[in-house]
Amino acid sequence: MNTTEKIKSDQSYWAVVRKQFKKNRIAVFASYVIAIAIFIAMFADFLANEKPIMAKYKGTIYFPVFKEYAVDLGIAKWPSALLNVDWENLQFDWAIWPLIPYLPQNIDFENAQSVSPFEEQHVKSKRWRHWLGTDELGHDVLAGTIHATRIALSVGLVAMSVASLIGLILGSIAGFFGDSHLKISRIGIFFNLLFFVLALFYAFGTRAYSLGDAIGQSFIIFLGQLVLSLFEFISIMVLGNLLAKLFSFIPILNKKIPIPVDMIIMRLIEIVISIPTLFLMISIISIAKPSVFLVMAVIGLVGWTGIARFIRAELLKVRSLEYIEAAKALGFKEFRIVFKHAIPNAISPVLISISFGIAAAILTEASLSFLGVGVPPEVMTWGSLLSSARSSPSSWWLAVVPGTAIFIMVTVYNLVGEGLTDAMDPKLRK
Amino acid sequence: MAGYLLKRILIFIPTLLVISLLTHIISINAPGDPVDMMLNHGDNNEGQNVQRESYQKSYNQLRHDLNLDLPVFYFSISALSTPDTLYKISIVYHRETLKRLAFMYGNWQQISAYYLSLQKFEYALYDVAKTDSNAVYLKKAKEDIFQLYLEYDTLKINYLFSQIENTLKQDASFQLIQPLFNSIQFSFSNVLSSATPYKSYIPKLYWYGLQNEYHHWITHFMIGDFGLSYQDRRPVAAKIKEAIGWTLILSFFSILFSYLIAIPLGVISAAKKGSKREKIISVFLFMLYSLPVFWIGTLAIIFLGGGDYLNWFPAFGVTNLSNNAPFIDRFWDIAYHFVLPVFCLFYNNLAFISRQQRGAMLNALSHDYIRTARAKGLSESNVIWKHAFRNSLIPIITQFAHVFPTIISGAFVIEYLFTIPGMGKLTFDALIYRDYPMVFTNLMLVAFMTLLGNLVADILYTVADPRISFNKKDE
Repeated sequence: MNTTEKIKSDQSYWAVVRKQFKKNRIAVFASYVIAIAIFIAMFADFLANEKPIMAKYKGTIYFPVFKEYAVDLGIAKWPSALLNVDWENLQFDWAIWPLIPYLPQNIDFENAQSVSPFEEQHVKSKRWRHWLGTDELGHDVLAGTIHATRIALSVGLVAMSVASLIGLILGSIAGFFGDSHLKISRIGIFFNLLFFVLALFYAFGTRAYSLGDAIGQSFIIFLGQLVLSLFEFISIMVLGNLLAKLFSFIPILNKKIPIPVDMIIMRLIEIVISIPTLFLMISIISIAKPSVFLVMAVIGLVGWTGIARFIRAELLKVRSLEYIEAAKALGFKEFRIVFKHAIPNAISPVLISISFGIAAAILTEASLSFLGVGVPPEVMTWGSLLSSARSSPSSWWLAVVPGTAIFIMVTVYNLVGEGLTDAMDPKLRK
Repeated sequence: MAGYLLKRILIFIPTLLVISLLTHIISINAPGDPVDMMLNHGDNNEGQNVQRESYQKSYNQLRHDLNLDLPVFYFSISALSTPDTLYKISIVYHRETLKRLAFMYGNWQQISAYYLSLQKFEYALYDVAKTDSNAVYLKKAKEDIFQLYLEYDTLKINYLFSQIENTLKQDASFQLIQPLFNSIQFSFSNVLSSATPYKSYIPKLYWYGLQNEYHHWITHFMIGDFGLSYQDRRPVAAKIKEAIGWTLILSFFSILFSYLIAIPLGVISAAKKGSKREKIISVFLFMLYSLPVFWIGTLAIIFLGGGDYLNWFPAFGVTNLSNNAPFIDRFWDIAYHFVLPVFCLFYNNLAFISRQQRGAMLNALSHDYIRTARAKGLSESNVIWKHAFRNSLIPIITQFAHVFPTIISGAFVIEYLFTIPGMGKLTFDALIYRDYPMVFTNLMLVAFMTLLGNLVADILYTVADPRISFNKKDE
C-alpha cells in the first residue's frame, strides 16, 4: 500500500511539473528548437552532403548517402564507377541532391578567399550557391554550421552525462555516509591503502604504455583499454577487502573507525572549483592528442560539482527527517529508504543543472575551439569557424553565422533550464 | 570567529597542496623537452663532435639550473625493472625510450650497455671526416642513429640496423667504425636474449629524499621565488608584475560598472515583476546572459575596430604610445583601447549579476516581514530598499566570491581576442609553450584567490545577515 501511494504522488508531481512547464510558452518554444537542432544533427548527412541522396547513374539507381554509411561500417564497397569521383561534376541521369550540396571539408577553389553570401559567386547555378558564403579556403559555411551542430549537441550531451554520473556517485556517497556512517576496520584501512597503491601500479602503472598507445590510435580503443584497467583496479581492490575480512577475527584489528567521506568529497569539490575551468582544460588538452572525445570528457570531469552538491544536500536532508527514523525503527534497510526518498526529490534540481550545464558545455567547447585548443583543426566546429573570422575581419558572415548558432543553442538550453526551475518551484505555482 | 578563521585558513593548505601536485603531475607528463626548447635547438644531425659536445654541455648546465636533473618527486613506486637512476639521463627522448625498453625487457644492465654502445658509435660517426663521396651516406647514417635512439620496437630497430649496415657498406671511410656498429647489434641481441619481463610486474618503492623537483619548486615558491619562465628565461615574478596591471584595469572597471548597473536593474525588475517594462528587461537580460562573449568581441572587432566597417575603436593591444609619452595622453589612449574589452566583460557580468539580484530580491520580497512592512504603511521604496534589499544581498556576496579570482586569472578569451598582455594571455601563452613555472605560479595564485574569495564571502555574510554565526557552524 505504501508503494502504490508513493507512485501515485510521484506521478502527480511530474504531471504538475509538466503542466507548469507547458504554461511557459517561451520554454516550450525553446524545447521545440532543441528538437529541431537534434533533427539537424541526426540528419546532417542528408541536409548537407557532396553526394546525392538518390541518383541514377549509367542506368543504375544509387543511394550514395546510405551507401556511405554502409561503406563506413565495412559491410559494402563503392562500385568502381563511383570510387573517388568528383560528385558535383558526375553526369547523372537524374539526382536528388541534399539541400546543401557540400560537405564541410569540401574546398571550392572557385570560391575561395571568403566569398560573401551576397556577392556574385562562381557557381554553375543557384543550386550550388554558397548561401552563407565561404571561408578563406573555400569551405561552405552553411554546410560547416550544419555538421557542427552534431559536435555541439553531442559535446553537451556526453559531457553532462559524464558529469551527472560522477556527481550522482560522489554526491550520494557524501550525503549517505556523511562523516561518521562509513566505518571501516583498522585492518580494512590498512589493506585498502596497500591494495590501492598496488591497484594503481598494476592497473595504470604497468599498463601505462598500452593506454598511451591506445590514445594515439583512436578513442574507442582507448576506451576499451581504460575499461580493462578499471576492471583490473576494481578486482584488486575487491581482493584486498576479501583479505581484510580474513583478519577480522582479531578484535584489535577489527575495531571500526569512521571515515569522513563527506569532508573528503567536499574538499575535492572545493579543489575542483578553485581551479578555473578553462585553465584546467587547456592544460589537460595541451598534453594529449586533440580529440572531440577528450573535450567532452574533460568538460564532464570538471562539471560535476553542482550536481554532487544537490544530491548530497537532498540526502542529508532526508536522513534527518523523522519518518526515516521511524522507518528505520520498523526495520527497513536504511540504504533503501534513503535512496527511495532522496533521489526522486533530488531529480528536479539535478535536471535543472543538467539543462544549464549543457548550455555551459556548448559554450565551453565553442570557447576552446575558438582558442584553437582541444578539437583537431580539421574538424569544423562553431567555435573554430568563428575564430577564422578573427583572422579575416572583413568577412562578417564568418562571425555572424556560427555565432548565431552558438547563441541560439545556448539560449534555448538556458530557457529550458529556466522553465524547469519555474515549473518545479512550488512558490511560483499558480 | 577567530577560531573559525584559523580553521578555514588551515584548510587552505591541503587544498593548495593538492592543486600544486596536480599541476606537477600535468607538467611531468607534458610532451616535449623544455631544455631543448629553451636552447632553441632543432636538428643536431649536422656539425662535428665539438659543436655537439658544447651543445650537450650547455644543455646539461641549463638542465641543472632549472633543477630538471632531479628526481620528480620524493618517492616513486615503479616496477623493479625501472632503474631508479633513470632521471640522470639528460635527454628527455632518450630517457623515454630507455624507460620503455626497460619495461619491455626488464634487464637494465644490458639496456644501458646497448645505450652506451649507441653513444660510442654515434660519437665515432660524427668523427668521420666528411668527403664528397660519403656526405650523403653520412647524413643518412646520422639520421638513422638519431631514429634508433627513439625506437623501442624490435622490428623497427632491426630495420634501422639493416639500413645502417647498408649505408656503412657504401663508403670505405666507414670501415673503421664497423666494429662499433657490430657491438650495437651484439648488445641489442644481448638485451633480447637475457630479457626478464616479469620484473616489470614487481612493484618497488624508491625513496629520493628532499632533493627532488617538486620539493625545490614548492619551497622556493613559498619564499616568493617563482623561478624562470621557459619562454624567455625572465623571472616569472617580473612577467606577472607586468601583466597583472592590465588585468586589474580590465577586471576592476568591468566589475565596477556591472555591479553599479546590475544591482538596481535586478531590484527594479523584481519589484515591478509582471509589468511590461520588467518583462522587456528580463528578456533583454536573458539574451545578454546567453550571448557568448567571444562572439560579441569578434563582432565588435569586425564592425567597430577598423577593418572594412566603422573605425571607432582600436581593436588590438593596450596603447600605441611609448612609455615616455605624457601621462595624460597615455591615460586617454589606454582608456580608449580598453573600451571594447571592458564592454565585453561588463555586459557578461551584468547579465549574470542582475539575474542573481533579481532572483534574490524576489525571494526576499516573498517573506512575511515584507507584508508586515507594507501593512505598517511604509512607502514602497522604503520597503524595497530598506527591508528587502538588505536581505537580498547574500547571494550577491557569494557571487562576489566567484568574481574575486577572475581579477587575477583575467578573462582568457577577452585578452586573447583583444591581444591584451594581461594575466589571461600570459597564462594562455604559458600553457601553449608548456612554460610550467609560469603555469604553476598563475594556477596557484588563482586557486589562492578563490579560497580567499570564499573566505571573504563568509565574513561578509555575517555583516549582511547577523543570523549567520560561525560558532554555530563549527559544532
